[in-house]
Amino acid sequence: MPWVEKYRPKNYSDIKGQSQAINKIKKFIEEFYLGKLTRKKKKAMILYGPPGTGKTTIAHVIANETSSEIFELNASDFRDKEKLKSILRPAIEQKSLTKKNKVILIDEADGISSVDKGGLSELISLIEETTYPVIITANDVWSKKLAPLRQKCELIQLKEIDYNTIKSVLFDILRKEGLFIDNKIVTSIAIKAKGDIRAAINDLQTISKLKGKDLNPDEIKFDERNKEVDIFSALRFIFKGKPSSETLKIFDSVQMPIDEIILWVEENIPAEYSDVELAKAYELLGKADIFKKRIYRQQYWRFLVYENALLSYGISSVKKNTKIGFTNYKKPSRILKIWLNNQKTSKKKSIAKKYAELVHIGQKRALKEFPIIKEIIKSDKEIQEKLGLDEDELAYLKQE
Amino acid sequence: MVSKIWTEKFRPSKFSEVVGQDEIIKRVESLTKSLNIPHLLFAGPAGTGKSTLALIIVKELFGDAWKENYLELNASDERGINIVREKVKNFARTKSLGKVPFKVIFLDEADALTPEAQQALRRTMENYSATCRFILSCNYSSKIIDPIQSRCAIFRFKLLEKKDIEKVINTIIEQEKLTITPEAMEILYEGSEGDCRRAINLLQATASISPSITPDLVSTIISNTRPKDIRIVLDYALAGDFQKSREKLLDVMLKESISGQDVVKAIQKEIWNLPIEPEIKVKLTEKTGEVEFRIIEGSDPFIQLQSLLASFVLAGLGKD
Repeated sequence: MPWVEKYRPKNYSDIKGQSQAINKIKKFIEEFYLGKLTRKKKKAMILYGPPGTGKTTIAHVIANETSSEIFELNASDFRDKEKLKSILRPAIEQKSLTKKNKVILIDEADGISSVDKGGLSELISLIEETTYPVIITANDVWSKKLAPLRQKCELIQLKEIDYNTIKSVLFDILRKEGLFIDNKIVTSIAIKAKGDIRAAINDLQTISKLKGKDLNPDEIKFDERNKEVDIFSALRFIFKGKPSSETLKIFDSVQMPIDEIILWVEENIPAEYSDVELAKAYELLGKADIFKKRIYRQQYWRFLVYENALLSYGISSVKKNTKIGFTNYKKPSRILKIWLNNQKTSKKKSIAKKYAELVHIGQKRALKEFPIIKEIIKSDKEIQEKLGLDEDELAYLKQE
Repeated sequence: MVSKIWTEKFRPSKFSEVVGQDEIIKRVESLTKSLNIPHLLFAGPAGTGKSTLALIIVKELFGDAWKENYLELNASDERGINIVREKVKNFARTKSLGKVPFKVIFLDEADALTPEAQQALRRTMENYSATCRFILSCNYSSKIIDPIQSRCAIFRFKLLEKKDIEKVINTIIEQEKLTITPEAMEILYEGSEGDCRRAINLLQATASISPSITPDLVSTIISNTRPKDIRIVLDYALAGDFQKSREKLLDVMLKESISGQDVVKAIQKEIWNLPIEPEIKVKLTEKTGEVEFRIIEGSDPFIQLQSLLASFVLAGLGKD
């Protein structure tokens, strides 16, 4: 049996390292059942935080502590509004058969696709009508698609678990299993987990299978577990937080090519920085872009280190103080604008192309000098004929 | 049929007609007369006669049959080196018929090719060296890889001097029965920036309005061709509104299809007209120069320009 299952906490008191959140949750549940009488309180909570911080576990603990049956939905149930309705309605209306209460769990709400708007609105009306507490879990509560949910819910943050706490949990498990593993190994497992207790326990179980000299603490190599981060979290990390060794690696965890990440950073610098910080940030962005170009030109990929460092740690470092509050980061708009413009100026391009061929120059050059060239072509019918301009192109010239 | 486009109509077709670049003309002419030219590399700014000279060479070599023996390609227009190779292959497949044992391929803006593409080009040049001669043209020879440079005779074209541009303009004025004032000539030269093609185009655009070329008319045409909204971009930045400033910048660049390089040039000229302290003007000019350098080196122009605008925001706040 996986230890993560075997040692999954059953009661509030078993949960380690989340005392602040647990207090909030207890209060919420208490008030929920009081609120049932007054109907004023929020009836759903979002537990949010990185993977392995106990979101799903806590939901099950709540059910256990309140002697409730758990009714679980996942993201795929939200694809179809009608289907969701048919599952949900009976659940909130029917009394549980064996237990008095119910808890409705919507696990990993990040997975709800933003196109499933119908599903999401159904969920919101569910929250308004439910007589049972609704627990929603999410990695990134600040994503745009969850915005309508945020207002209806109590937000409870689960922090990455401190490595000392992880370490004590790991030793506790070893004690119960009657195993001994070197302190050095346990420590490095705890550090490497970066607050993800599930990962730590899984690693511990894997290591415990090793024997003899394989268990030599100096020999064990862990494969880094890359925690995937979305671009919004990565930007928040950089723009709001203090630069750290984590900052330096943050873009490694984003599933996006670095060329695209540059555009995201470019778009959003002014959303967070102004004045001196703004200037410094763009200076660094400009330098990162130079290294990007050098990589392409010379195919020397080590430059990526510099590009990445300037883009992450560098841009994070220009602010005097860390920033708070929520910022709505925007998608890069430049590429779209360029595309739209290209659609608009296709006639101009086709004229420039014809002209360029006739006078032995490049098309780019012809486009660059288009304001002058245009005057010349416009004024002379013979030239228009010689270029073989079609009606659309002539019409374009006229309206210019 | 004589083209009505003056840059074509008045393009020199003999060595003796070329204005300026005296040394280069002498050397290239003697090479051409020997009917055996090496690969050539023409380096120099736009509008200084590189394409013209290539055309003269092939006309001298092949006479009326020049069109069959001449392939003109533009590296920045072709989509990738493979297209270039394909076109070269097709062209080089047949042998030249006349007394000259090779055909000529003119590759314009060769510095637009990446170093890797240039390596591929080098191999192509070698493969077809028995049947083809290449004339490469570029703005900066430093952006051409050494192995190609070492295979070419290099000619460096200079910007045309004032007297050269005036000579060209006066020839056209005479033949097209126009009049021009000395002052208008001065403005035309300034506006041409030593680029002969631009000078002729400006003249034709002006003449399309009136045959008497006056200073006012030339100035109007030139200012119409300049990105005039650049000042608005800078004013937003100086007022501290970075978002609006960069929005306007992108707008100007897209609408007018101006390159980053041209925007930098316009900004550099506008700095002196801004209501800021002389010391800050100098600092901004230095920063502008750095940005122009980066753009020429191939950096993303819009990113570099944003970093420049951010400096203007600081200048507007009186910080640097």
